[in-house]
Amino acid sequence: MQSIFRAVDRLSLLAAYLAQAILVLLVLAMMYEVLARYLFNAPTIWAFDVSYMLTGVMFILGTSWTTKEDGHVRIDFLVQRLPARLSALLNGLIYFLLLTPLLAALSWSAWRKALRAIATGEVESVSVWAPPMWPFFLALAIGLTLLALQVAVEGLRSLHNAKSD
Amino acid sequence: MKALIPALMFPALFLLIFAGIPVSFSLMLVSVAAGWFIFGDVLFQQLFGAVHSVASNFILASIPLFVLMGSILERSGVASRLFQAMQIWLGRLPGGLALATIAMGAIFAAASGIVGAVEIVIGLMAIPTMRAFKYNNALISGTICAGGSLGTIIPPTVIAVVYAALAQLSIGELFAAVILPGAIMVLLFGAYVVLRCVIWPEDGPPISSELDKPLGEKLWITFTALFPAMILITAVLGSMLSGIASPTEAAAVGVTGALLLALCYREMSWKVLRECLSSTINISAMILLIVVGGTMFTGIFAAGKGSQLILSLVESIGGGNFEIIAFFLFIVFILGFILDWISIILICVPIFTPVIRAAGIDPIWFAAMVLVTIQTSYLTPPMAPSIFYLRSIAPKDITYKEMYWGVIPFIALQFVTLFIVALVPATATWLPKLLVGF
Amino acid sequence: LEMKFMGEKIVSSLKKAFIAAAICLLPISGQAAEVTWRVPTSVPEGSPFYVNFLQRFAKNVDVMTEGRVAIEPYGAGVIVPALQVYDAVVDGTVEAGHSSPTYLLNKDPINGIFAGFPGGMGPEAFISWIYEGGGEKRLKELREGEGFHSMIVGIGSTEILAHSNVPIRSKDDLKGLKYRTSGPWAEVMRDYFEAVPTVVPAGETYTLLQRKGVDAVEWAPPSANLSEGFHQVAKYIVVPGVHQPSFLWEVVTTKETWDKLPDDLKAKLEAAAKLTTYEGLTNFYAADIKAMAEYRSGANEIITLSPEFVTELADAGRKWAQKKADEQKASGKPTMSEILADYLAFRDAWNKERSYLITE
Ligand code: NA
Ligand code: NA
Repeated sequence: MQSIFRAVDRLSLLAAYLAQAILVLLVLAMMYEVLARYLFNAPTIWAFDVSYMLTGVMFILGTSWTTKEDGHVRIDFLVQRLPARLSALLNGLIYFLLLTPLLAALSWSAWRKALRAIATGEVESVSVWAPPMWPFFLALAIGLTLLALQVAVEGLRSLHNAKSD
Repeated sequence: MKALIPALMFPALFLLIFAGIPVSFSLMLVSVAAGWFIFGDVLFQQLFGAVHSVASNFILASIPLFVLMGSILERSGVASRLFQAMQIWLGRLPGGLALATIAMGAIFAAASGIVGAVEIVIGLMAIPTMRAFKYNNALISGTICAGGSLGTIIPPTVIAVVYAALAQLSIGELFAAVILPGAIMVLLFGAYVVLRCVIWPEDGPPISSELDKPLGEKLWITFTALFPAMILITAVLGSMLSGIASPTEAAAVGVTGALLLALCYREMSWKVLRECLSSTINISAMILLIVVGGTMFTGIFAAGKGSQLILSLVESIGGGNFEIIAFFLFIVFILGFILDWISIILICVPIFTPVIRAAGIDPIWFAAMVLVTIQTSYLTPPMAPSIFYLRSIAPKDITYKEMYWGVIPFIALQFVTLFIVALVPATATWLPKLLVGF
Repeated sequence: LEMKFMGEKIVSSLKKAFIAAAICLLPISGQAAEVTWRVPTSVPEGSPFYVNFLQRFAKNVDVMTEGRVAIEPYGAGVIVPALQVYDAVVDGTVEAGHSSPTYLLNKDPINGIFAGFPGGMGPEAFISWIYEGGGEKRLKELREGEGFHSMIVGIGSTEILAHSNVPIRSKDDLKGLKYRTSGPWAEVMRDYFEAVPTVVPAGETYTLLQRKGVDAVEWAPPSANLSEGFHQVAKYIVVPGVHQPSFLWEVVTTKETWDKLPDDLKAKLEAAAKLTTYEGLTNFYAADIKAMAEYRSGANEIITLSPEFVTELADAGRKWAQKKADEQKASGKPTMSEILADYLAFRDAWNKERSYLITE
């Protein structure tokens, strides 16, 4: 069990590194666009699409590691007054029994969307550049799936803490 | 029973959030529970639409970049040099650093319309410095949240743009309408900071004597710290103000500039850069996932006929214009506890606009009051986006309690602003009439 | 005291309101219509396209079906992302969607003919082609091939060519012009006139025009541009809108959803759609005239392009359409060039004989 948990952690960390690389790419792409537009009066046709796609992919890929680090803001001053075991139990049950299936179902929809984008060759609907959409949707699907896995792992860890504390 | 689903979504949400479940996950859980009755087995496809919306929103793309810029300025020590230099000149003023922070918030807000970005940038830069000078934690928190919230009200603001589109108002007139209320607010904030630090000097201690250096040294420190940072800020603000760059592009310019600055000061290393990238990803993931949850919540609330619920509440209240306005603002305020501004605008404006017009209330004046109210609810605990943002960048030893106590005086000042605008409609309607345009 | 009084008043009003809401909402959920469609659109609630097309359609459907069909309109981004309306219908997330073929242009350029393209027919000729020249039938066939049933809900008037910070009178003025536009016109501007089409996020258009980050923007017809306030920040208003002489919106459902309807309701929905389209267009005309008069009376300068320049621009637009049709044909899809030939033949016939028609 522990080794599966650690494998999920590592996948999330990998996704976070990928997200960091994407962040660097985003800066470079935007700088290129500003220079191209104002030095050469030749804006690219791709900067707009690239920037929103990179941002979207970056944040979704970052969500699972943020979950691992417990970085999603919670208001815990009330829960802190409960016995630690009880609050761990509450958190674990909600994460594992409610949130995990929710995110799994959401990932399922994301995969369907990605597969359909591949099958139909869907392209961006308003851009002159008209890039294919499947890499974007595929990345969203992967990110959401990782988030579902990490939430399941954190839920089980919480439940484990509730038992052993 | 189905008709009451949208009303039940709110208590359910409060319950989950106070059970300590992350805000973003709580919004999703409630959306799924309520949405099941409305969308059945296509629910998750509908909800994925929210992920898609947020992931493909160009305007939101500037948030991670501004976070990264702030983070580089903070960790490379550029920000603390900057504030030290400011301290030299503002040091004799009680609460000088807090004043500088609010001024920075106002200036940044005048350049961009991205709400959270303003708070995070000034927060990352100002918190370490104010702490180094032993400012009171509550004052720090209040200053950052309130200074950051100015992005909502000082034009240009994306909120006003979306509002104008939904209510069919002129964007320019709405921008002009919130200038004076925004200015009133900045003045009140500044007056409060000075007053507080005059009465309790230990909250924002004045300069220590060791910084009382000879003029030549002061100028040198200013030149090496203030000047380069000002160039950077001017480049970012200037490229937005002159229309050279969109906020997203300007943010990228800011990142590059911050990086160059840190390299010049020889304070950038791989390790620092990696830390900056990593914390940026965490903060962005946290913020944008809340926006995803809020978008889901809004969609389900709307599809569950939440608008009709609000409308029938309005009709049953009846009464004159005063009651209508008070009630509408009250609803905005309540929704602001949980939802991000775009959700509030999407839900409320289409409901309010026809009623306001039919009652003969000046729509621009009303819009200005709604924008002030949204800003207030952005600050109001326990559910305050401003505090979520602050939590993500603040040191762990600043407690929620300190944050809450810190924002309360500023909330009171925003209510004062609201009353001023309500009692003197000219504060909102005078400038738009003067507006000549080009 | 005043505050306390106000507080009590609000609390007691709220109590009353909740009871009233509970009472008046329960029957609503009881007496539902026979058929209820959630219909999201691609523009925000309050936009003239929403009010004039979708909301009007909902009202007309309610009247014509005597309440048996309920259309619930939703603004962009509320329950479905603005540009995902067609996909949401396919997915079954909503029963129907309101959008424009413009958003399907990248998927299949054939949609350009129905969306309205640079150098295409103006609204009078276009609506005549749609309903009397076989255009509607062509669109329905196209959508049927994609698994949809389509009803045209909204044909629009001519757009404003540009709100501009610099005067535009001739080809030279377009050279290097930073111009917010999209779709076919962006390609025509770039490829034939050396302009610099620029992508601007919707919420930033006003701010960028004001700050001169772009020289010019095109957006919508005169009446719809009024509330955008472009005329308050840019001096010049350039007409006629040869880039978008007219445009079209449709309501689509899946074929299964449509086939499930009783025949009498189908006929009534079609009639409501057609009525909406005619009412919507005349409503646009009247509102546009008023808006143009308002622009003219203000500080703006309205530039009406010379007929020669308009012809030059329109020819380039039609060249774009013909090029796309030829490309399609070469890749084994002849439909676009067939429909375009149809369309252009109608346009020629109309132009040849339109001198009999009084348009003033
Ligand atoms: Na602003
Ligand atoms: Na709040």
